[in-house]
Amino acid sequence: MIAVLICQIVLSIVLAAVFLIRPSVTHAVGWKIVAFIGLCVLPALCIAGGMNTHIQRSEQTRFCISCHVMVPYGQSLYVDDPSHIPAQHFQNHRVPVDMACYSCHADYGIYGPLKDKLQGLKRIYLQYVSTPPDPASIRIAGGFKNAQCLHCHLGARSFEENAVHAALLDSLKTEQTSCLTSGCHDTAHDIANLSHLKLWRPAP
Amino acid sequence: MKISEIGIGRLLRISSFLVIVGLLLEIVSLLWFHPLSFVLFAFLAASLIGLGILVYLASLLFVAPPSAVNRE
Repeated sequence: MIAVLICQIVLSIVLAAVFLIRPSVTHAVGWKIVAFIGLCVLPALCIAGGMNTHIQRSEQTRFCISCHVMVPYGQSLYVDDPSHIPAQHFQNHRVPVDMACYSCHADYGIYGPLKDKLQGLKRIYLQYVSTPPDPASIRIAGGFKNAQCLHCHLGARSFEENAVHAALLDSLKTEQTSCLTSGCHDTAHDIANLSHLKLWRPAP
Repeated sequence: MKISEIGIGRLLRISSFLVIVGLLLEIVSLLWFHPLSFVLFAFLAASLIGLGILVYLASLLFVAPPSAVNRE
């Protein structure tokens, strides 16, 4: 995918270079069309393709943990304890392994991707311009919403046939009862104790 | 100075230069797997390419084509 985009960019560069060296060629009608393609259509397509590639890349697990403060969060996915919710989901492929962070932390609302990008830019600002936060002190603004869990679990037989889930379903949907902080599934990324926890090592 | 006084050739050169620099930066951002690569793409590469496109479109709108006598 990136290779195709780079080929398109190189083609666009070659065309633009022609008009940089000899702009007078555009006097001919045929070259006017080529100039329109080379200086307007292709570059616009390159912007769209680049944006799409960068957005898809930013959904990858390895992209998220490429930030220093996120490294312990990446390690916490390997905690060898099924009571750790992110580790359990990651190790049992309940979320796509290469999109593990995004699957649970994406805002699935209509403006979600835009909000996520703005949050990402804010974190880049904190990392490179302001003071990077201590990994253990990082908290999700507004708390972790049940909607993230229900995006996958709602409608799943194993979830809805569970007596506790069935009894609490309405309050879970309305966020009155939190999946994480109401005492049911309260172990997420236990960064503070990570050094004491046993980590799972997948077979090579 | 009005845009129409600059000349279509010069505007095309400026547009081409901006587009080429922007596209080269886009290639760098695509090959560099780092959170800053998105910033490089969104704030530099895409801006330069967009500016190059705008300069090209301005050359179409505001600059009169050279007369047949002046053609090379």
